[in-house]
Amino acid sequence: VVVVAALAACNRDRGAPGVKTIKPDSFLTLRGSGPKSQRIANYKIDARLDAVKHAITATETLTWTNTGTTAVDSLPFHLYLNAFKNDQSLFMKSSKGVVRGAHASDTAWGYIQVESVQVGGVELASKFHYTPPPTAKDDQTVAELPLPQPVLPNGVVEVNFKFTAQLPEVFARTGYKGDFHMVGQWFPKIGVRQNDQWECHWFHVNTEFFADFGTYDVSLTVPTTYRVAATGVLVTANEAAGNTRTLTYRAEDVHDFAWMADPYMNVLTGKAKVEAPPGGSDDTVEVRVYYRAEQKEFAQRHLDAGIGAIERFSADYVPYPWPIMSIIDPPMDAVDGAGGMEYPTLVTTAGDTVFARPGVRFPEYVTIHEVGHNWFQGMLASNEAEEAWLDEGVNDWADSHVMAELYGATGSAIDWMGWQAEAMALRRAFADDPSALPSPIATAAYAFVDNRNYALSSYDTTLRALSTLEQTVGSLKFAAAMKAYTKAWAFRHPTGRDLFATLGKELGQDLTWFFGPVFHEVGGLDVQIRTASCRPYHPPRGIFDDGSGGHKTKSEVESPETGSFKCDVVLQNTGTFHVPVDLELRFADGSVQTRTWDDKGGESWKAFELDSASRLTEVWLDPKNKLALDSPVLHHQRLEGDGAASLRAAAWVSSAAQTLMQLVGP
Amino acid sequence: MAMRLGLADMLSAGTRGVSRYTGTLLAVFVVQSLVAAACMFAVAMVLAQAFAHLPLFDDAVDGDLVALIWCVRYAQPSFVAIGGILLGALLLWQLASWFIVGGLYGVFAQRPEGRAETARCFGASGAATYLAYVKLALCSLPGYIVVLFALGTGASLVGTRIWHALTMWQLIGPLLLAMLPGLLLLHVLWTISDYARVELTLRHDSHDPGVVVTYLRSAAYVIRRPVTLVHGGLGWLGLLAVTAFYAYLAQGHPMYGTEGAITLFVARQGVSLLRMAIRVGVLGGQVELGRSRPLPPRRVEAKVDVKA
Repeated sequence: VVVVAALAACNRDRGAPGVKTIKPDSFLTLRGSGPKSQRIANYKIDARLDAVKHAITATETLTWTNTGTTAVDSLPFHLYLNAFKNDQSLFMKSSKGVVRGAHASDTAWGYIQVESVQVGGVELASKFHYTPPPTAKDDQTVAELPLPQPVLPNGVVEVNFKFTAQLPEVFARTGYKGDFHMVGQWFPKIGVRQNDQWECHWFHVNTEFFADFGTYDVSLTVPTTYRVAATGVLVTANEAAGNTRTLTYRAEDVHDFAWMADPYMNVLTGKAKVEAPPGGSDDTVEVRVYYRAEQKEFAQRHLDAGIGAIERFSADYVPYPWPIMSIIDPPMDAVDGAGGMEYPTLVTTAGDTVFARPGVRFPEYVTIHEVGHNWFQGMLASNEAEEAWLDEGVNDWADSHVMAELYGATGSAIDWMGWQAEAMALRRAFADDPSALPSPIATAAYAFVDNRNYALSSYDTTLRALSTLEQTVGSLKFAAAMKAYTKAWAFRHPTGRDLFATLGKELGQDLTWFFGPVFHEVGGLDVQIRTASCRPYHPPRGIFDDGSGGHKTKSEVESPETGSFKCDVVLQNTGTFHVPVDLELRFADGSVQTRTWDDKGGESWKAFELDSASRLTEVWLDPKNKLALDSPVLHHQRLEGDGAASLRAAAWVSSAAQTLMQLVGP
Repeated sequence: MAMRLGLADMLSAGTRGVSRYTGTLLAVFVVQSLVAAACMFAVAMVLAQAFAHLPLFDDAVDGDLVALIWCVRYAQPSFVAIGGILLGALLLWQLASWFIVGGLYGVFAQRPEGRAETARCFGASGAATYLAYVKLALCSLPGYIVVLFALGTGASLVGTRIWHALTMWQLIGPLLLAMLPGLLLLHVLWTISDYARVELTLRHDSHDPGVVVTYLRSAAYVIRRPVTLVHGGLGWLGLLAVTAFYAYLAQGHPMYGTEGAITLFVARQGVSLLRMAIRVGVLGGQVELGRSRPLPPRRVEAKVDVKA
């Protein structure tokens, strides 16, 4: 009773929130001139937040252009919020109600109710129908709108919606928790037409999003006590009836619009310096971190990481094109559901914990990863349902470089009390062996055997694969090729094939030997030292023909040991991936020899014979740690065992044992 | 009427006991060190079996975090085996400690002179009370189950709060608060056991008290005399302070190489000896207070039966 009372007394009373002073942003919606994309799907939305019911009532006008070669007689729409309408949606069935440790509420469901849909003034609500997948008949995350008249190639159609979006208790990126509202995937959103086929997949736990670029003009009416962060630039802020105000945002060349509303958020602002656009002089991006007071210590870390990320990604790939970036640090009771998600010009971060001491850079990593998504998916808008690895894994690879650039190569992820760990190495150490995964990297997100395989393949294995390739072809060349890829495909919809083609072209190599097995086949890399031995060398002994029909015997006396050594090392690769392997051989006299096994498939083992003046002491396969796809544990071996480190570790264990003994006895 | 002993008397009795029977203390420490050393060699063999040929483990021991993660993942069964060795050593020491504590209480109670007499007294007392101590441990079990329940309930109460902790105070504050009832109860139970052991040792020859009765009488005694709890609590605080001080000093000094390993070994053994001296000093103080307790009822019939 005492404990419960004491804990209850510790709860902070925030008091009533005050009216916020809001001023429109002073910058243009794009850095440099636009448009940067085709702007196929353009939205105008007027929305009002009911902060008590956690619901949004809105009208939406979509203007869509048919850029295909055939006429279109119906339009598919995503209604993502219906994933949270009941436990029979594809999302709930595939997630079993749990995403990243957050559990879906059994009582606070979320949904989107389309009350009206009109084309050319004709009401079509009765014809607007759900198209569920065969495995989830109650799924309502995709609906089809038959059109009264087909949209011809290059034709434009305007669709008007009235809808209500009821937010769930925060789960899987969207929803409310107390006064905090994270509003994502909240409006009817048209699918993408590619090669005259629609891409509009049902919302599945593994699938994120895919949409066309366009402009968004969104008016949000919220209580005056609420602070709002949203995609794009705040154009106007006008007081409205009933202690509300209407905030109008405009975003250009983006493919989504998300926003956050919360009465207790504070704002921390900084500026990132990036390359000015051609013909322009605006070389700054305003970075804002939205945080609750108790998370102030972490806000500065997120701000610094956000600024660093924008500057590094801009330098390494293409300059950030928008003038603003908002980083939301969700309240601690909402972070499992809302943290770690990316939208154009707005991301949510995570990682705030007492264990993330300065130098333990998990908060920074999350921010850098989510900001990085503004390149890999925000600008290079790949299809996350079909090729999740193309943004998640590629972004992870880029993040590890940005982390190293910002915090140093050896301790980029952890540099705390003498402990150091580099981001990529840490990810690799915790990841599963790729050969243990039944679905290869290039599997559609919804087709993975399970969420774990999806996550490991799309993030870690892709990161490790790209790193292995990078180390194989050379870091500088690979970085230049990746930059070329981003320049070529920014504001378009690249596919994995496009990435492979661009890299092959830029690197001047046929890389099918790598991409095929690594991305499309089940398996892994398993290079090992099979045997390593060394023996004193002597000239041949035994009975030999003397060339005249007789024999000559060479004994130990005639062929004494020379003092040099003959050594054999056999490497094997029992995995399905093959890459060139470096070998370093160390000898007792301190000399070192290197060899390379140029394995690009076709061989499963390789033997090396060496002559040496000294005995072989260590064999080090992949000494520069290039083979990120493989486990390094057995790559470095001594021929003679040495128990010094074991004894040292055992001494520590026994000291701990003695401490525990003194707890149970004298 | 006997003078009522206070905390200062107990502390000085403990100090006197430790200084007078330094040899006994060292002998017990050597035994403990031998158990720890055996544990060390067993662990070293397990580790060497897995890692003697892998320089990656050298890096891990030298503080390479990523290498350590790889090694732990690679040789999980070895680390499970090490856990088993650790548990075995603790169990062994628990069993041995019933003899050792009985011996120490006997020495402090009878105050023998000379090395041989002290050794005889230690062995005789330890052997005489061993079974009674085992019964006492069984008698204490229900109390420890309540402690586990209290600790578990406390932890579950603050689980979410700790998960979302942003500062050290937010982490440690609720945790301490939640664990406090369980820890206090544990301290009370340990103190009761200690005074029951003192009683069983002091009155073994004269009264042969029953274990359950002694446990219950000791519980009543400890509750009536809070100085018992304060005295034992000071002992635990001393133990904690020495450990924390060593951890503070050792922080940032990895002590590589043979010289470092020897320095580390000596430092750790020094710390262990100091902690043992504190523990033994507490036992000495408890015996001093235990002497002043009212005598238990005689179990004359039991004595008669045995002689018959």
